[in-house]
This record gives sequence, C-alpha cells and structure tokens, in this order.
Amino acid sequence: MKRLILATELKNLWREKLVLTLFLTTSVLAIVAFFNAHYFANKQRDVVLAAQQMQQQTIQNAKAGLPERLASTENHKWWEDPYDLRGQAFYLMQNYATKTPLATAPIATGQADVLPYYFKMLIKEKQHIVHQYDYVHPLSLLLGQFDLSFVVIYLLPLLIISICFNALASERQGGQLRLLMLQGGSATHLLTYQLLLRSALIVMPFLLISSLLLVIIRDQMGVTELLSYNLIVLCYSGFWIALTAWVNSRAKSAANNAATLVTCWLALVIVVPALVNTSIALLDPTPSRIHYIDSLRAASDDAQKASEKTLAQYFQDHPELAKNGSGASDYATKKIATINSVERAMEVQDARFLNAQQAQQQSAQKLQYLSPALIVQTLLVDLAGNGLTRHYAFMSEVEAHHQALQRFFANEIAKANQRGDFAPCDGCSAKPTLTNLADIPQFSSEFATPVNSYTPLIWLLLLAVGLLLIAKRRVNKLDSANNKEVLVV
Amino acid sequence: MLQSTFKKEWLDTKRQGQALWLSGIAILLLLLACVTGFKSHQSYQQAVNEVSQSEQLRWLNQGEKGPHSAAHYGIYVVKPTTPLAALDDGLQAYQGNVLRLEAHIRNDSLFRSAQDNVPLSRFGSLSPAFVLQVLLPLLIILIGYPLLAREREQGTLKQLLAAGASPAKLFFAKCAVLFTLSCLFLLPVALFLLYSQTANEAPYTLRSALFLLSYLIYLLLWALITTTLSSLLPTARRALITLLTIWAFATLLLPKLAMNIATTLHPQGSGQAFQAKLESEVYTNARLDAIEKFKQQTLAQYGVSQVADLPFDYAGAQLQFGEQYADKIFDRLFEARLEQLEAQSQSYQLAGLLTPFIAVQTLSMATAATDFSHQQSFENAAEQHRRLMQEVLNFNQRDHGHKAQGHYTAGKELWQQIPEFSYQYPRFAHYLPHYVISLISFAFWLIVLVLLSLFAIKKLRLEEQR
Repeated sequence: MKRLILATELKNLWREKLVLTLFLTTSVLAIVAFFNAHYFANKQRDVVLAAQQMQQQTIQNAKAGLPERLASTENHKWWEDPYDLRGQAFYLMQNYATKTPLATAPIATGQADVLPYYFKMLIKEKQHIVHQYDYVHPLSLLLGQFDLSFVVIYLLPLLIISICFNALASERQGGQLRLLMLQGGSATHLLTYQLLLRSALIVMPFLLISSLLLVIIRDQMGVTELLSYNLIVLCYSGFWIALTAWVNSRAKSAANNAATLVTCWLALVIVVPALVNTSIALLDPTPSRIHYIDSLRAASDDAQKASEKTLAQYFQDHPELAKNGSGASDYATKKIATINSVERAMEVQDARFLNAQQAQQQSAQKLQYLSPALIVQTLLVDLAGNGLTRHYAFMSEVEAHHQALQRFFANEIAKANQRGDFAPCDGCSAKPTLTNLADIPQFSSEFATPVNSYTPLIWLLLLAVGLLLIAKRRVNKLDSANNKEVLVV
Repeated sequence: MLQSTFKKEWLDTKRQGQALWLSGIAILLLLLACVTGFKSHQSYQQAVNEVSQSEQLRWLNQGEKGPHSAAHYGIYVVKPTTPLAALDDGLQAYQGNVLRLEAHIRNDSLFRSAQDNVPLSRFGSLSPAFVLQVLLPLLIILIGYPLLAREREQGTLKQLLAAGASPAKLFFAKCAVLFTLSCLFLLPVALFLLYSQTANEAPYTLRSALFLLSYLIYLLLWALITTTLSSLLPTARRALITLLTIWAFATLLLPKLAMNIATTLHPQGSGQAFQAKLESEVYTNARLDAIEKFKQQTLAQYGVSQVADLPFDYAGAQLQFGEQYADKIFDRLFEARLEQLEAQSQSYQLAGLLTPFIAVQTLSMATAATDFSHQQSFENAAEQHRRLMQEVLNFNQRDHGHKAQGHYTAGKELWQQIPEFSYQYPRFAHYLPHYVISLISFAFWLIVLVLLSLFAIKKLRLEEQR
C-alpha cells in the first residue's frame, strides 16, 4: 500500500509537471543565494586581505627606506615622517583590526553588511575609530542580501505550503480517499506520504545543492558546521510540514487550507518578527547617537580645557611614564592623556549603549520563541559567524588592541622624550624614533569565537511534534469516520 | 450596479469572517505603526534641534584660538527630517545622519542606527510604509481572489451575465469595491498627512499629495491585478495560489534580487580602498609641487623674495590653496563614487517594470525625503558649508595673521561670521529627474493592467455567449 500511495503521488506530481518545476526552482534558489552571499563574503575577505597586505607592505617599505632616512639631514615634519612615533601614532599608522568572514558566511549575512569588519587603527579616541563603516548603497542594506538564510526562512515554507496545501483535501473532495480506504489504506498514511514526498522534493534538492556548494567552494568548511546547517534547515522545514499536516487534518477545502497556511506564514515570518522587532526597540530603546555626539563634544572640550590637569592625572595613573624626572608636557603625551580622559568620560555613555544592546539581545532571545523564523534566523546568523556574539568578541579584541597601541606609543614617546630624540638640539630635526614598524602591536584575528547554543531548536521540534500529534489524532478520527461510512455503505 | 455589488460583496465578506478579522488586524497594525512612527520621528527631530543648537553654541563659545585651530575643531551637523518620515523612515537607519565638518577632510556621515540594532531588526520593523507596501496588497489578495472566480465556480457568473449584467460593469464594479475597501486603510495615513499640514510650519503639501497619490495608484494596481486574475483563472484556488506567488515575487524576492543585481552590475570599491585612494591622491608630491608653485607665483605677484615680506599672512593663503587643491580631488573621487551609487539606484528603479513594489517604495521614500538622493543633497549642502567655513577662517588668517604679535588668535566675532547651518530640503520638483523611471513604471503597470482588464472583460463576454 505504501508503495502504491507513493507511486500514485509521484505520478500525479509528474503529470502536473511539479517535480521538475520544484526541483529547478529550489536548485536555482540554492545556487543564486549561495553565490550571491559567497560573493559578498569574498568581497569582505578581499578587503581584510588588502588591509593586512597594506600593513605588511608599509612595514617592508619602512625597513627598505631606513638607511636613507638615517643618512638624511633634511628637516622632517614629524606628522609626515614614518619614522617618528608621533607621526605614526596620530596620522600615518597602517595598522588594521580585521574580522575575516568564516567559511560558513554564505549561510546568513545577518548584520555583516551593516556592522564594521575592519578598523584602521590610530591613536585617537576609540569613539572615532569604532564608528567607521564601509560606505555602500543604504538601499542594499535595507533590502538585505539574497543569501541561503533568506531562502530557508522566507521561501522554503512558501514552497512547502504551495505544494502541500491540498494534500488529502483533493483526494477527499474527489472521492479517491474512500476508494483508497476500501483497498485497506488510511488517511493517516496518505497524508504522511504525501507530505513527506512533496516536501522532500523541495527541501532535499535545496539542502543537497547548498551543502555541496558549501563543501566544494568554501574552504575549511567543517563537518560540524555542515551538519548543524542541515539540522537547522530540517527542523525548520519539519515545523512547516507539521503545520501543513495540522491544517490539512482539519478537513477543510484546499482553498481554505491555502488561505490558513498563508495567513500562518504571514503571521510567523512577517508580522510577528516585525512586531517583536518594534517591541524590542520600544522596550529597550537605544540611546540617541545624536545626543552621543553632544556628550562626546562636551567631554572633548572639558579634556582640552583641563589638558595640563589631565596630563598630571595621567602621569599619576601611569607613573612609569613620568619617571626619570621628565616633566616635559610635550604635545604627544598631552594628546594621549587627553584622549584617555575623553575615553574615560565617555565610559558611562558607551556603557548605556552596550547595556541597551544587551537588553535588546536578551529580549530578542526570549521573544524569538514566538516565531520559528526568529529562532532559525538567530541560529543561522550565529552559525555563519555574522551574529552579535562573534561581533562582540571582535569588538572587545579591537578595544584591547587599541589599548595595547596606546600603551605602546605612550611608553615609546615618553622614552624618546626622556632621551631628547624629538629635539636633539636647537633647530635639529627629530631623530628616527621608530625604526622598525613591526614593533607596533599587531591585531590577532584569531580571537575566540563563542560556541553557539542550539537549545531553541528543541522548542521548534516540540512545536512540530505537538502539531503532528494533533494532526494525527484528527486524521485518525477521519479514518474511523470514513471506515464507519464504508461499513454503512 | 456598483451599489448592489457593494452590498453583495459586503455580505459575502461578513459571511466569510476571515477577511473581516484580517482587516481588523491590519488596521490595528497600521495604527500602531503610525503611532510608533510619529513618536520616533518626534524624538529624532527633537534630538536634531537640541544637538544642532548645542553645537552652534559650542562653536560660538569655543574661545580665543587660531582660525585654523577652529577649523580643526569643526562642527557637527545633523540631518533634519520631514513629517512624512513618520510614515516612511526609508533609509534613515542605514545611512549616517550626522556629519563632521572640519579642515582638510571631507567626511562621510556618521552613526547608522542600524548598527546599534540586533540582527532580528533585518526582518523589518512595523512602519506604516511596511504595512502599506507589503501587508495591504496581501489583504487585497485575500479579500479579492474569489470576487469573480467563485462566481464562476458557483455558476452565478453565467446567471448574472444571462440576466443582462454588463461584463465590463460587473468587472469594474468588483474592482471598485476592492479598491474602495483598500482605500479605507489609507484613512489613518490621510488623517496624519492632514494633521501634519496644519501642525507644521513647512507643510510639504506637494510631497504629502504625491505620497498619498502613489499609494492610491499602488492599491489600484493590486486591485486590478487581483480582479483580473480572479476573472481569468478558472477556480478561486488557482487565483489565490497565482496571486500569492505574484505577491511573494513582487514584494519579497524581486526587490532583493534587483538590488543585488544592481550592486553587481555597478560594483563599488570598499571603503578601505576609497580612503586609501583619497590619502594617496591628496597627499602627494604633486601637491607639494603645486604649493611651491603657488608660493612662487604669490611672491612674484607682490614682487618680494620671501613670504615674511608679503602684505598678508602667507600661512592663511596657503591653507586656502591647500583646501581648494584637495576639494578638486574630493569632487572627482566623491563624484565617481556617487555616480556608481546613482547607477545602482537607477538600475534598481528599472526593476520597477517587473514589480510595482519598487516604484511605490522609491516614490514613498522620495516624498518622505528619506531616500539616498535626499541624503546626498544634505551631504552636498554640508560640504558647501564646510568649504565656506574654511574659506572664512583661512581668509581671516591671511588678512589678519601678519598683524598679530606672536600667535594670531581670533574670537567670537569671527566665529559669528560663519552662518548657522540650517538645512532645508529643496522643493520636490528639484528631485523629480531622479524618479522618472519609477513614474514610468507606474504608468507602464497601469497601461498593462488596463489592457489585461480589457482582455479579461472580453473573456467574460465570451463566457456569456458560451
């Protein structure tokens, strides 16, 4: 009977030219989505590589040009001199902090197109560094990337609905169901095989093709990541199949099923996420960045006005820089002290933003259970390494690197100042104070990436199982009712 | 005919129930979206006013310092919005709204609020534009798919036509019912626009009228699509499936694909490459040569051999020369980048011929002044202001620097000579050339759908004769 149902179903789908159409549709979607996101991730990787190459090239160039600079007797302007610590610190440094896209990046772009993934480091307030961004067309950010997660979250459910909405219903309306039951079949079996076969025609080609592309084209794609991706997509598809089973089990017309399923899709994929998003923004609003500017300006003004006091405070906090009796409040040290002061003054503001973001993230984690689309998006974005968890890890490394750079330059400038390298004699040009650019701390892009939690998938599975159980009970009732009718007949 | 069709459809809708509660939910969502949109617009505008004033005061009260120090101190300017931004916030979250104006550098705008949001925000937030552009067409489909298809399925279509009902009148009556119902959803928007006309000093009448008109056309297009397909397809089920597929393509798939294709066709270098290019083209030996040439020319013009003998402060003149030299490079590089981005915009708009969503989205953001062209206009105005600032400060240094004993400083009198940056959007007509493709797309869709409607009416006539 099982074979008969499957063969008939396949024949029907073949007759309606659905098998080929669906196979082509899902294959094309998988290919287009993968290559589009792959191209995007590669663009980011190229920028990261270019930045790293530029950094290495600058080190090499400085090495090559050192003998000439040492022999030179010209008057060098410190802000244009690559061998001057101050010039490097405030203007010339080619030092980058970068976040390389992971092998899984094409799975979900997430916020990767909005969040910065490289920073050109200089010794200035971190507020001026961490707010750099890539200038792209804002409309492409609004619309987002056409990636695998978009197909999974939005289109796969629609395709499942479009092929499964009339499972059982057309057989029931056409009278074939009773014929099938006379032959010993049951509505439960028919619905199960119909849903499994039809959805497999959509999900399987998509998963096979996208997985194959991920393995072949993305270097270093791990088995665990690939299995996780497949598991997430299967669980999500499972939920939609279960929902379709539940709607079909209500024994309504095919048009009614379609309308109900589309309404469910609209609610779960479009309306609830938009509502959740709006509620998160209303419950934990991010402070205004425009007011942030105001605070930053006020803090800078205060630090500038109190620069001598700031410097004294700075030496109090960093006595190692003031030792050997150097009391010279040279421009560079004063500048670094002022930068430190502004950063300290802005700590409260920065914390407000961080707290608001963390509160939003916590609300998002709680509210994601309202929609399977939200759960799957969070999981896929984290798996792709484009989520906030990895970004926060990157940002904390960037801050640590910024501090390391500040410490390095503050120390070296103080030492050079104490040695009198910046003013060897009246009217003399400064001595080279940074002869090897490789001494400048370099960013390690090997920062730890936090492990993703797959707990929300359990909720998705529970929902699917719950829906399937209800559907099974209903279809069983239908079976018994039909059996009775058959007996009466 | 229209009245009886109204009564009949209203009864049908009431009996169905589903459409009524869906409409109720849509209205609630729209009202919620309008309230949150209005609140966020108000708080944004308040922040703009407060920070702009505070920046202006900061500029005026920066104290005695050298004009070039003031040029480096700079000023931050903030982009204002129109009241229509409450209805369509467009690209506001994805483009920086603050710009730092300072010496030697043409900055990009700062702080895209999307960067502060959680990844879930990419699902979109509940704005009135989202409800009108995405949800309302779906509601039109859900209400309208059975309009003629079910009549045909139930056999009442033939009866109606046999009873002498005109196919054209029947078709247009059904379409009018659907359009009128959908227009009811525009009421909160129309009321908001009316309120903003009376409550604001700058009423933006033309923008408001065009905003409303573009949505009226958009809803009419969806009403026509729905009625036509309901008339052409044999069953309500097929009409529903076809319409839903069109909706998913038109509102979800095509816009995303169109923009992805646009960015691939007109690729733009990375921000890092752009910055590197700026630095490598501005600070070159050619610049040093040009400055040296300028110095020699100036000395020759005044018949002196060293800058100290000039009747003005050469440092100020050189600073202004350096600014003008860099400005030319900025113009060239920023213009090239802008051309690429404009090409992406135009290419995206061209896809409006495939989906009316793109046309209405473009016109809605355009009238609300929240699109890329309006952002550019603001950034250009800010850049002009930056250049004016530099000119005033450098010329002051040039004209007065040499008279001072020691380091020359200026005060509030000079800072006051620079007018406050107060940006007003130019009249909408000024921007019209940017949106020609979207206007053509609307016209194209109207023509295609009217032709398709005529074809559907012809088929109805044939049905009558069958």
